[in-house]
This record gives sequence, structure tokens and C-alpha cells, in this order.
Amino acid sequence: MNAFEYAAPRTLDEALAVLREHGDEARVIAGGTALVTMMRQRLVRPSYLVSLREVSGLARIEAANGDVRIGALVNHREVETSPLVRERFPVLAETFRRVASVRIRNMATVGGALAHADPNQDPPVTLIALGARVEIRGPAGAREVPVEDFFRDYYESALEPGEVVTGVVVPRRPAASGAAFVKFLPRTADDYATVAVAATVSLQPDGERCREARIALGSVGVTPLRARAAEALLAGQPFGADLLRHAGESIKNAVDPLSDHRGSAAYKREMASVIAGRALTQAWEAARAAARETR
Amino acid sequence: MTFTQECAIPVERERLWDFLMDVPSVAKCVPGVEEVETVDAKAYRGNLRVQVGPIRLALHGTMTVDEQDRAAWRARMRAEANDGRVGGGIRARMSLTLAPGDGGTRLRIDTDLTILGRIGEFGQPVIKKKADALLEEFARNLGSRLQQGG
Repeated sequence: MNAFEYAAPRTLDEALAVLREHGDEARVIAGGTALVTMMRQRLVRPSYLVSLREVSGLARIEAANGDVRIGALVNHREVETSPLVRERFPVLAETFRRVASVRIRNMATVGGALAHADPNQDPPVTLIALGARVEIRGPAGAREVPVEDFFRDYYESALEPGEVVTGVVVPRRPAASGAAFVKFLPRTADDYATVAVAATVSLQPDGERCREARIALGSVGVTPLRARAAEALLAGQPFGADLLRHAGESIKNAVDPLSDHRGSAAYKREMASVIAGRALTQAWEAARAAARETR
Repeated sequence: MTFTQECAIPVERERLWDFLMDVPSVAKCVPGVEEVETVDAKAYRGNLRVQVGPIRLALHGTMTVDEQDRAAWRARMRAEANDGRVGGGIRARMSLTLAPGDGGTRLRIDTDLTILGRIGEFGQPVIKKKADALLEEFARNLGSRLQQGG
């Protein structure tokens, strides 16, 4: 690993000032699970590290009206075990529970994982299906970007130079809705997924037909993807095997997997359709159950 | 890994061939290539800068032209380049073929690429996509340069 200077400012404004001063040579560090690994491999060699650990106010999970805001410095394990997240978005707690191993979950932060923009991660998939937004602060002020628009390319995000992720906001779920996260993991429990799918389904007042569905997929492209064409097929329809098959075909066209040791591109394309079918089935069942309860 | 790429360049085959065989000039059309110098009639030395996400590579190496067959409109070359800081490098064998088509020339590139060292594991999955993006920009640069009277 190369030698570097380390700063641990106490406010976000100080952190932004350090980033501005050192430009390209500085990198933000939070949990360090991704960055330190890359530094050890000498893939990246920042001469300045700006830690966000001492910055106050970034490590909270809080309710804001019906929404839930998760600070950038909250770690994966905290999301997994948060009573608030478990009550409002059990699918999100479950998704974070499935990331890597508990040791990594205790270190890796929500904001760091987003900024790392690794297309094989699980949380972005569920955050996209839930319609979450990334909170960003930079020299030009604060802004929000839908999670689905945040990832631009392989390990590249919408963050501009000098900007940092400050949190993620998950909006309230409609009544009569369900969500599911399904991770296809043929090797070991702490591996990246071969394909991961999150689906949300909300139902019309009849408690049967789909009002809106969202399907997001990970590990099947250079960024996490949203399968909009498949979602459009589902809107207004009652649940059925034919419908799922059509959606599955559409998903095969939406994904663009890379061949690697977790499977060939062709295999991942097939599995994306299979796993999406399972996620949709689970989400739809959960939505029906929720609809029955509210009646 | 091996892959084949094709692109159309809107100039006639003879002119494209002559331009492509002038390596230092062609190199100016390859995005990220810097400081190309001639070693001898067949070999050239230069730098290639590539960025993949947070990783910036500065590859330094040589390219050797093994075959120039104007009768068959085919050229073969190989490249060896290393990044001393990150630790790793590339070895590539490429074959260029020119065929008439679409009001200009179709350029076909067959590549056999090996990535060595630390950059291999990280970069392997996206090499084809990066190579496609590189070729697209190269074709655009080549087209506009030759149409300007290059």
C-alpha cells in the first residue's frame, strides 16, 4: 500500500473543503472494505484519505414522515438489525442480511457501498425496486438522485468531483403492496450473486391486479438495472403463469451480463429470468396478503 | 480472450490502408495513446492511458507490425504493455482486415488479448465493453481525420 495522509474532519463542510483542496489525489473513506482492498492491491493509490467517521449526523437511521432516511455512515449490519427498517421495509433488512459476511457487514457502510458503484452488490437492487433516492452533498450544495440513475458505468457513479453521498431516502410503501429480494448464489454464502433480483408489486383496489411493479437486477450488467419493459407488461394484469413467462422473456432482453467464473453471459441471462419470476411471485403473494389484511 | 470487432470508415480502401500503415499517425486516433515513437521500421513505443472506474492505468510498451499484406488487405501486429505502478500488463495479437462496403471500407479487427497481474481480475469482465467503446471512438476519429484530408 502506498503512503498517504489521513484527515478525519468533524463536519461535512470541512470534509468537502479537504476534497476540494486535494482534488483527484483525495479519496473519501468510510468503512474501508472496498477502498482498502483496492489500495492493498495497488489498484488505486490516493495520496490523501478523507474519513467521514468523525462527521456527526451521518450514522443515523430515522423516520421522516412515512419515509426512512439512512445516513451514509450507517453500516450494513445496522440496517439489517434496525427495528425501524424491519418494520417498514423488511425486504431491505433481508437484503442487507444477505451481503457478504457479518464481519464485512459490521464495517461496510451504506453510503460507501453506493459510491463504490460495484454492479455486483445487493443493496442497490432493493433500493431501486423501492424507489429510493441517494442524497448527495458537494461544492454546489445538496441534491438527490434516484438510486436507479445513480450508477453510470462499471464502478462509475453520478458523483461529481468533490461530492459525497450523505444518505439514502426510502419512500413510504403504498398499502396492498409486497416486496421480495432473491439472490441466486450457487457457490458460497458470502459470494457475490450470480444474479440478484428485487421486485415490488402494489395492487389495485380489487386486491388482485397489479397497479405498479418494479423489478431491479444486480450482477447482470455493468450497473444494477431496472427492467422497465417487463414492469409495463405487468401493470393492470392479474397474476398468472403466462404473464410471468412474458415478463421473464422481456427480462432476458433487458440484461447484459458479463461472463465470469460465476457463469457465462448466456447462463446468467436465463437465470435472471428465472430468479425474477421467483421474486415477482413472492412479492405478489405478499401484496395479496397485505390487501386481505387491509380489507 | 479473443474477440472480433467491426466498424465502417467512410473512405475508400486504398486510402484507409495507407493511413493505417502509418502507425504514428494512426496512434493519434486511438483514445488515450500518448507519445508514440518509432523504434525501427516495424516497432513502435508508446503509452496508453485507460480508466476503468476508479482505476487509472498508464500502460507503457511496444507494438510490432508482423505482417503487412496489401494484396490480401490484411495486417497483423502484436502489442506488449505494462503498468509498473499497478502491477500488470497486457499482451495482444491483432489482425486487421479491410473489405469494401457501405460506401466506404469495413474494418475488421480480430484480437487475442491476455491481461496479466492485478489488473486482470478487476478488468477482465469489462474488457470487451471497453474495447468496443475504444473502437467506436477510434473509428469516429479516423473517419473525421480522413475526411478532413488527413
